[in-house]
Amino acid sequence: MKRVFLGVLLAAIGGWALAAEPCLVVGMIIGGTKDDAGYNQSQYEALMALKEKMPCVEILFAENVPEGEAEAVLESMIQQGAKLLFPAGFGYMFPALNVAKRHPDVIFMHPGGYMLADNFGTYFSNVQFAYYLLGVAAGLMTKTNKIGFIGGMPIAFVLGNCNAFHLGARAVNPNVTTYFVVTGAWLDRAKEVAATQALIQQGCDVIGSHLDSPIAVAQTCCEAEVFFVGYPSLAVQKFCPEYWITGLGLTWGDFFVEIAQQVLAGTWQPAHVRRGIEAGFITLGEFGPKVPEEVKKVVLEYKARLISGELQPFAGPIRDQAGNVRIPEGTAWGPLDMGKFDWLAEGIVGSPK
Amino acid sequence: MSWFLSWLSGAILYAAPILYPTLGEVVGQRTGMVNLGLEGLMLLGASISFAVSFLTQNAWVGILAAAGAGLTANFVYAWLVVHRNASQLAAGLALMFFGIGMSALIGKPYVGQMAAYLPKYPLLGPKSLVFRYDILVYFAFALAPLVWFFLFRTSFGLKLRAVGESPAIAYAAGVSPAFMRYFAAAFTGVMAAVGGAHLALGIAGTWSEGMTAGRGFIAIALVIFSRWNPLRAIIGALVFGGAVVLQLQLQAQGIGVSAFLMDMIPYVLTVLVLLVWGRGVRYVAPASLGRVYFGTE
Amino acid sequence: MPKPNIIRFWHGLLRLLVTVVVILGIFGLFLWLMGRDPIKSYRDTFRLNLLNPRGLAEVVVRMSPLLLTALGVAIPFRAGLINVGAEGQFMMGALLGTWVALNLPGLSQSLHLLLVILAGMLGGAVWGAIPGALGWANETITTLLLNYLAPLVVGYFVFGPWRAPELAMYPQTPEFPPSARFPMFFPGTRMHLGFFLGLFFLLAYGYLISRSRWGLELRAVGGNPEAARRLGIPVERWIVGAMVLGGALAGLAGIAEVAAIHGRLKMAISPGYGFMGFLVNWLAFANPIGILIMSFLVAFIASSGFTLQLTQRLPYAAVNVLMALILFTVLAKPFAKGVRR
Repeated sequence: MKRVFLGVLLAAIGGWALAAEPCLVVGMIIGGTKDDAGYNQSQYEALMALKEKMPCVEILFAENVPEGEAEAVLESMIQQGAKLLFPAGFGYMFPALNVAKRHPDVIFMHPGGYMLADNFGTYFSNVQFAYYLLGVAAGLMTKTNKIGFIGGMPIAFVLGNCNAFHLGARAVNPNVTTYFVVTGAWLDRAKEVAATQALIQQGCDVIGSHLDSPIAVAQTCCEAEVFFVGYPSLAVQKFCPEYWITGLGLTWGDFFVEIAQQVLAGTWQPAHVRRGIEAGFITLGEFGPKVPEEVKKVVLEYKARLISGELQPFAGPIRDQAGNVRIPEGTAWGPLDMGKFDWLAEGIVGSPK
Repeated sequence: MSWFLSWLSGAILYAAPILYPTLGEVVGQRTGMVNLGLEGLMLLGASISFAVSFLTQNAWVGILAAAGAGLTANFVYAWLVVHRNASQLAAGLALMFFGIGMSALIGKPYVGQMAAYLPKYPLLGPKSLVFRYDILVYFAFALAPLVWFFLFRTSFGLKLRAVGESPAIAYAAGVSPAFMRYFAAAFTGVMAAVGGAHLALGIAGTWSEGMTAGRGFIAIALVIFSRWNPLRAIIGALVFGGAVVLQLQLQAQGIGVSAFLMDMIPYVLTVLVLLVWGRGVRYVAPASLGRVYFGTE
Repeated sequence: MPKPNIIRFWHGLLRLLVTVVVILGIFGLFLWLMGRDPIKSYRDTFRLNLLNPRGLAEVVVRMSPLLLTALGVAIPFRAGLINVGAEGQFMMGALLGTWVALNLPGLSQSLHLLLVILAGMLGGAVWGAIPGALGWANETITTLLLNYLAPLVVGYFVFGPWRAPELAMYPQTPEFPPSARFPMFFPGTRMHLGFFLGLFFLLAYGYLISRSRWGLELRAVGGNPEAARRLGIPVERWIVGAMVLGGALAGLAGIAEVAAIHGRLKMAISPGYGFMGFLVNWLAFANPIGILIMSFLVAFIASSGFTLQLTQRLPYAAVNVLMALILFTVLAKPFAKGVRR
């Protein structure tokens, strides 16, 4: 036993002496797997892009981390020298805050969170605003005037995306009805297929979704020869190139590099960073082969207006399904209001609960 | 009417991947073995079928590979139960852990990929959107009556059931409980794995960790629901498949129904079945179910 | 002539130690098969999970629910019942405990905690009583079914009536008031009251099962129910009672996890603690000291899973395979005599 202990001690010292010093140790945890062609993959890829652009950075990465274990894994990463951590899953916010309190010298960046601390900031893409563009495309492409939206869980960001999808479609096609369905899980392939089929049976001929990964939806649309828009990954295009209209990819741009540099320079400040297409946080995908030129033109026009700030997707008056005004005339909801959705807009069929 | 037809069409499709493990477990439990590891077997089947189908670009090779893997894995369970007198529940749980972990490791490189899939054949003419299924769906529903016939109308089936009632008496009558149990285990393993393979290649078209979402356990519930009868298993599977589809169709029609309440239906129904027919269950269940057999053979 | 107690004690301890060594050996073999360096892996896990005070504390944190869920399986086991429903009982305990935590404001912490603990035990007890009462159905199967119902019930409440309004974004209940949170000990770690409750019940179990009349009756029911009935022991009542007690402890594990670690009820509170408890009980042969050691070991393996993901890029799924291999090996009873080959 003593020999083992000495061995461990020597190895630790030896390891410490021999290892080269990285300029920064960055850690990330995700709730799913890194190759889900969706949300988790986008976070992982941004992390790898950081490593590529800043080779002196050492990366610590763990996937499939349950929420109850998050604190322990984050602490473990800190023990190994991490100074910048990305708890990249919404449910990690409170555990990460706890760890942040104990380690004021470590910076935490959380996607989608709504709380700040001296060493805790958040970031997210203004997805809802970009989803409006997908709605515009859908409104122009639909022949039945019925489009569908599949959400994972009825949370604000999902409802917001559905609303944006619907409002965008209505902007170019006032007769559109949007059907909203929830599978109850972020990743349940069989349910996703069943949801898509249910929407198609209702007559929807364009399907949008907000799930961890849109692959199952894409394949079902393919079989039924129905159009779909992709989110949150552009990689899904290859699953059904013919019926792909366009999509949104969470690309995060060089944001991670920006943050890492701020941490190294000591200039980092806690903030809710919310950026959209204009900053490269989201990318509008290329168009599929069946999309007519006029449609492309209109969508790109709207995109330009969105980037310039001229277009406000959530400008009032907007009513909910019961007819109550939720966004009054003359006001508009901005990126920080995206957590307030617990309602669906007029003209959407489906329940927000 | 068309609402009903599209619901039925979906129900049949979603019934198939759960009918397979249910049939397998019915046979297994008829020899007195409870296998909690069905979930692991299904996941093994799903991951292996997907991986092999990707590598060979042939769905059938994938399904065969999955069947083989399921058979082998379940033989480990059978060996532990038959030859090491292991607790069936512990052995089943071990199989469950194994399948969950192994499938994740096997499937890892193939997440987010496309494999070769099963072609679909329409039941009602080429133009219909409903009732178009791959062969495994048709086969599942054809298999159930065959299993019933085998269990209840052949002498081999009688001997198999005898082992489930009392291995000692079966042995005394010249039947080998060990052989019957291995035979049943082979069938269960193949069935559960094929069920998982169908889920991956026939319905979902992808592989994700844990994609069976508890179907392996639901199958055990359905075995009780169907009171160890393969024909009633069809109904149980349809109820389950139907609940999955119904929930989503109701939502698509704007009827707000809590997904959780809908998901509870198969379990609540099973518990009700137990309550209502409960007193009879003790007599209907194979008498030696779950008990370790310390026989001499 | 039955073996005297002292020899049985050492024999049991030896069997336990051999099991532990075998498990560690399998772990190493498994790592080697996965293409990882077993020596370095062991060094990493020892360094980060055992020799490191915070790492060790985390192992204990993971061990706390296992102590209780293993007891939740052990008590029915002694009565001859197989309780695979600890997962469901865990969640129902969390559910009822949450209701008490959120709906009784203005209480002192000691009173509130007591009520929360009792509510958690009650939730689990009720969920355990149902299969117990359905006497004629095989309890293995009914407990399993209820495992599936429980998260759906929790989901219904967490998404529906109990959802925190300010968190329209995410399905969870509002945060527990401070009076309902389990106190933590040893600042800098997450060790909480649940661990000490687990130890308390483990000691109580150990004492009562072997030295009290209740323990004797329980074991009699498990050993030979017919004989017990003839001796006048109320067998049916003990069956339900054992399930109620087992469920209560699993339920306590659930509310402890929520009140200590999460602070609010959400869907994702159990990474399989119920099944792991079954595994622990099984490896420990329902022996109290065994449960203590095996809970620690299983918690250690689970912690290593995360550590090795960081240091060796070992996928977490490997831990499940490892648990399976351990269980397969133990089930195969390689050293047992008198088992036909």
